[in-house]
Amino acid sequence: MSHLAHTVALRASGVDMFFGTQENQVVALRQADFEARRGELIMLVGPSGCGKTTLLSVIAGTLTPQAGSVEVFGQRLDGLGQEELTAFRRKHLGFVFQSFNLIPTLTVMENVMVTLLIQGRPYDEAHARTLAIIDKVGLKGREESRPNALSGGQQQRVAIARALVHEPPLLICDEPTSALDKDTGGHIMQLVRDLSRSPERCVVVVTHDHRIFRFADRIAEMEDGRISRVVDDPKLLDTTHL
Amino acid sequence: MYRLALNMLFGDRAKLAMLLCGLAFSALLMAQQSSVFFGIMSWTYTPMVNIRAQVWVSDPMVEQVNDAKPLRDTDLGRVRSVDGVAWAAPLHTSFVQARMEDGNFKLITLVGIDADTFAGAPAVLTQGRIEDLRLPDTVIVDEWGAALMGRMTVGPDGKPRSIPLQVGDTFEINDIQARIVGICKVKRAFTGGPFVYTTYDRAKGYTLGARRTLSFMLVEPQKGVTPAELCDRIERDTGLKAWTADTVIWSWGERSLARNTFWWFWTNTGIPFSFGTAVLLGLFVGIAISGQTFYSFVLENLKYFAAIKAMGAGMGVIARMLFVQAFTAGLIGFGLGAGMAQGIGRVMIEKGMPPFVMYPQILWATFALVLGISFVSALIGIIKVSRVDAASVFRG
Repeated sequence: MSHLAHTVALRASGVDMFFGTQENQVVALRQADFEARRGELIMLVGPSGCGKTTLLSVIAGTLTPQAGSVEVFGQRLDGLGQEELTAFRRKHLGFVFQSFNLIPTLTVMENVMVTLLIQGRPYDEAHARTLAIIDKVGLKGREESRPNALSGGQQQRVAIARALVHEPPLLICDEPTSALDKDTGGHIMQLVRDLSRSPERCVVVVTHDHRIFRFADRIAEMEDGRISRVVDDPKLLDTTHL
Repeated sequence: MYRLALNMLFGDRAKLAMLLCGLAFSALLMAQQSSVFFGIMSWTYTPMVNIRAQVWVSDPMVEQVNDAKPLRDTDLGRVRSVDGVAWAAPLHTSFVQARMEDGNFKLITLVGIDADTFAGAPAVLTQGRIEDLRLPDTVIVDEWGAALMGRMTVGPDGKPRSIPLQVGDTFEINDIQARIVGICKVKRAFTGGPFVYTTYDRAKGYTLGARRTLSFMLVEPQKGVTPAELCDRIERDTGLKAWTADTVIWSWGERSLARNTFWWFWTNTGIPFSFGTAVLLGLFVGIAISGQTFYSFVLENLKYFAAIKAMGAGMGVIARMLFVQAFTAGLIGFGLGAGMAQGIGRVMIEKGMPPFVMYPQILWATFALVLGISFVSALIGIIKVSRVDAASVFRG
């Protein structure tokens, strides 16, 4: 096995995804190829409707492509049934959503614990691990607060804690800074980068926010349902159409 | 996960209050209406409660206790001769008009009991003595009847008021004087007339022109003979119908006159239909309010359930969460509703109207129906959540 094979965290090859019937068919992904490496924070950028969210859903196993293959940390997703995909997500994936998706009637503590309780971890263990991650994201003392008592930045910190509390190899972030101001967005991305710096982890961020491009190790640009180019330096991107 | 599911439920207090209101109202309506229904139905076999005897003997065509078909007086001798009979006493029951001192008429239930044994006499006398029934033209009236048949007078405030009949007061039955020598405490009857006790022979006099006056025979089995066994022997030897005095309507005893009376009213009157409609209404209201509120609770939390699904929760976990939420709300709603029904029942029992009998079976049935409502509500929510695409969480 080559050195490169060891470094690949996820690989999508020749992925086709379309919605609707034949007459009104919308092509979301067309022979899309995408690759992310271990220990890397990679951003998926592109204009609205280019297929970023669809590709993210395919990688996350919440959408099954019509063609192509997806491999995440050595696990092929094509051919897995719904239950296996659900189990895969539970174990290997962490999610940070655009609108946080924190349950308003639960406390910070409970919102973070959800991830571990879904995995069937005992309550006491989940409690201890949750306290530790809340401390890491800088929210110590706010464990019993409800989400609506927190600022946008604090809510996104809770979402990050929820996504990482079970230490998943793949962290998927969907527009994590779109609801935040520049400074808060910068702090959140710094936190994501710090927490995800591990050779056993990979972070994929879908974003329109060019202010956070500097946090990426690489940036993959999408156009018309496929990756058009991948750059190491954000300055090489033309951000006018993003 | 269940603890968090409950916290989700209790965190939304407005929705929870609405949900509990629907369930509690539904439980209240079902339990209260059922209890009033069984209360009214318990009145149908009141004579079985007020006139105590282990075995009742009637004409073979009798179907229920309020429908006496007169027997010949000689039948009493035939029954007394059956092996296993300790004693047998005559009983007369009929509905007659009583004429009050002010000229007003009231329908009464005339009960004629054996003057020698006083078999079938009321258990509790609040005024007078049972033995005084042996005096000429005497009767014993029940408390409620004494108040109903009371003398109208004008109070100190100038308003008309009724003074309950007392020992010594008189009225007439078929132009024959009836002098009150006692006031008794008995259960009210479905037919509405007060119970007026007298001796069997005097009852014959009050019901002028009736050729046969023996409505029932009250029979006591000898020691070692069960009422059911004695019933078999009486029917075999006399061709008459014999009944046990068992008043547990839930039992399957074919011989219980109370039970037969209950089911006769069940099948021959519209009472079960009207009360059944109210109970069904309670059920539908419960399903409508609770189902809709729970559905709206699920809709409000749909994106969170979708997020939980995306994070790897299977539908089994989510379904269990929704069931825990719905059944917890159902349990609390049932407690509130049943508690309110008990409270209302207590007031009703104190006032005596309408009759209220809350059997444990009513509570169990209400509990089962409320859980059924919760189940339907949870099911609606589960169907909705199962149709949510986990990928929808990435669409903003």
